[in-house]
Amino acid sequence: MRWMLLLVSLGAAWHAAAQPLGLPPVPIPEDNPITPAKVALGERLFNDVRFSSTGAVSCATCHAPATAFTDARQVSVGINGLTGTRNAPTVVNAAYNATQFWDGRSPSLEDQALHPIVNPVEMAMPSHDAVLEIIRADREYTRAFRNVFDVRPEQIRIEHVTKAIAAFERTQVAGDSPFDRWYFGGEDDAISDAAKRGFDVFLTDGRCVSCHTIEQDHALFTDHRFHNIGIGVNAMQDRIGELAKAFLVAKAQGIDVDAAVLSDPDTSHLGRFAVTGDLSEIGAFKTPTLRNVAVTAPYMHDGSLATLREVVEHYNNGGVIPADAPVNHYLSGGIRPLNLTEQQIDDLVTFMESLTSPQFAVPTTSGPVAALDRREEQ
Amino acid sequence: MRRVFLAVLGVAACTVVHADEFTEADLERWAAQFESVAQEGRRLWTSPELGTNGVACGQCHPNAANTHPETYPKFQKQLGRVAQMWEMVNWCIRNPLEGQDLDPGDARMTALLAYIAKERRGVALEPGKH
Amino acid sequence: MKMNRRGFLQRSGAAMAGSILPVSLVKLAFGQEQGGQDFTFAYISDSHIQQISGARFVRNWDQGLKRAVAEANLLEPAPDFVVFGGDLAQLGTKAELDHGAEMLSALRYPLYCVMGEHDYYLDLGEYWSELFGDHYYSFDHKGVHFVVLNSILTYDEWTYERWETPERRMLEMAGLDNPNGSPFMVGERQREWLRNDLANVPRSTPIVVLSHSPLQKIYKGWNFWTEDAEEVQAILAPFEKVTVLYGHVHQIQYNQIGSISFHSAMATAWPWPYPSTYAQSGAYVPVMTVPMNRADPFNERDATGWQFVDVHTGRVAVNYTLYDNKNRTVAFNAATGRPEDMEYQHPPRRIPPQAHY
Repeated sequence: MRWMLLLVSLGAAWHAAAQPLGLPPVPIPEDNPITPAKVALGERLFNDVRFSSTGAVSCATCHAPATAFTDARQVSVGINGLTGTRNAPTVVNAAYNATQFWDGRSPSLEDQALHPIVNPVEMAMPSHDAVLEIIRADREYTRAFRNVFDVRPEQIRIEHVTKAIAAFERTQVAGDSPFDRWYFGGEDDAISDAAKRGFDVFLTDGRCVSCHTIEQDHALFTDHRFHNIGIGVNAMQDRIGELAKAFLVAKAQGIDVDAAVLSDPDTSHLGRFAVTGDLSEIGAFKTPTLRNVAVTAPYMHDGSLATLREVVEHYNNGGVIPADAPVNHYLSGGIRPLNLTEQQIDDLVTFMESLTSPQFAVPTTSGPVAALDRREEQ
Repeated sequence: MRRVFLAVLGVAACTVVHADEFTEADLERWAAQFESVAQEGRRLWTSPELGTNGVACGQCHPNAANTHPETYPKFQKQLGRVAQMWEMVNWCIRNPLEGQDLDPGDARMTALLAYIAKERRGVALEPGKH
Repeated sequence: MKMNRRGFLQRSGAAMAGSILPVSLVKLAFGQEQGGQDFTFAYISDSHIQQISGARFVRNWDQGLKRAVAEANLLEPAPDFVVFGGDLAQLGTKAELDHGAEMLSALRYPLYCVMGEHDYYLDLGEYWSELFGDHYYSFDHKGVHFVVLNSILTYDEWTYERWETPERRMLEMAGLDNPNGSPFMVGERQREWLRNDLANVPRSTPIVVLSHSPLQKIYKGWNFWTEDAEEVQAILAPFEKVTVLYGHVHQIQYNQIGSISFHSAMATAWPWPYPSTYAQSGAYVPVMTVPMNRADPFNERDATGWQFVDVHTGRVAVNYTLYDNKNRTVAFNAATGRPEDMEYQHPPRRIPPQAHY
């Protein structure tokens, strides 16, 4: 009786969290409905370090719940201290992404979970079957898989594993930020005047809303598209021709794109082009959400920008750092020098800091709550 | 009864000002005033003075085509919400023309909107059509 | 370290057939017809380099051309040559033409240029000739006879007498919807030259005409028009396979008139609306044209692009590289005898961006 109550309350709690302020309903594929038991199984799989060749790396190693499901590193580190080439995107609100990975090479959360398991610099398992062997030898897992998917141990397939992980990830959604409470909730003092000014910059002189889109009743802060904003490619402009061609030849011969883009920084910087071969997508990467951006540093696909202020400066310069560096020729049409004042840059950063959901909020030295604290101290 | 009615009409005809009447001459004059504002809008449309980089509205919108005034207000991705035509005019002035916003009540904004509407006359309203 | 193409392919040991690029897909779709060699050329048009003052040029137009050039340089297999389709400059000044020519010089292939009205009406093409040579000419390539026309001329009175200064004349022609403009034409002298040029070309030789104006009569109000279109078409009509490639319209158009296929080029600078979107025009584009994709009119590169042209058995397939939109290919369909969009021709296959404005 008690466990039924637990399940019901878990379900109720999940439903209460399922529609945070500022977010639309989570898209759920028909073939992978969310149930509390599946979510619990997915969470266990997500945190299981046995699914790596050294027994030391799980999904949570790079997507750590304590650090907003990132790892706070420039690029992630897998087994044996091997580094990849890309910054770990947060799982929070990834359920809303039209594609997964910085270059969109995965069409779904279910598919995404397949890749790090067998990537040589991430978890480096020899095959997905190796994962299934571990699962089949674990009584708690086999019981859970039977409960969730109605399969006997020998019937467990990797698709069941990734479905459970995806279901867990779909519960990691977060809205209710101070910005949401102000913009959608009508609470006039939820954010500071500086943040409100920053939002105006976001919509006008900053031109940010062009790609970090918002809508009438919700804000995902991404257009799900791929744009070359001058990160990575800038330093290899004279080599792009050679590299692009060499990559296409290698791809035609059957190399694994997933392994290639994480093994070599230059290949990584080719971006979406590596996935589609489209000449107009050289150096283009997916627009990430800005939700919780203040707690998911460092920034960009290669983690090359450490602070939000540096990010704004990069855009303010028109896609280069420093301002007089040559712009790469494949730059997205929307990127151009912005001529923002220092005040506008500060305000824009303050606005971005207001996008942190309460469950990930870190105490800051500014903002309305801190101001209250200071007043109390006086 | 009819005599009284006619007498009342006679009184009315002698009075110069009525709040709810206007004449053919008024209609012509007001149409001409609209026309002059719309022509000023046309002049602004093809002039580089709204921006700072020499680009004019007419370069991308010959005869104000593709402005679709009949679809406003509607959701505008670039503003992140349902917005009005004049807000999009300002978006264009700020972005491709690299200029400064006009106030909605600015005579230049009125002129631009008058020209846009005039070139689109006769097209049925379809508010919200993206 | 630079690799030449042959060395690069030998080292990679891979045949490019079956690669990811659309070039090979188009070839396979045509099947194995006999005759002529297949080749590709790149086609960049309408960059409208616009000077603000001194060394400041409108950034968006500059970026559009730079990007097209950079991407064209990546084409694999390499195209045989590049065509620039006209309107390199906005007001035909030396500064603009120089700046544009400098950007074009980064192209790694032989370049053929077509005159546009924005290049011509300031000095009647004098500086253009210094940079690029003749205003009209022809050349042969792998069994195809190419003709380049200067099709943006107009009536002598308008050109030589009506305007007080060359600058004024250029400004008047620069406004697309300017009621003081004048219709484009090829003119009697060039038509005579064309007749002579084609006199000894066998009827079975494929002809490709490179022109800025459409060599059709589409919408006079915006000079999507060639006044002597019928006469020019009549000179071309006896040939079995003729393709006209034109710029000026800054949008996707295609058409078939008799034995002549027509294809327009995208602009690298900015797109133009279809004439039918001007409510007072009563105009239309060729019925078979599936409009270009306008997924996001506020993206600065939306509905701009460049193209590469596959020539196969003397017929043409134009591959449009559209930024932030699905790329499209319009190819001659031997079964129907006209150009068709290879994916979207039939109405049920259209997508919303093709009805968007």
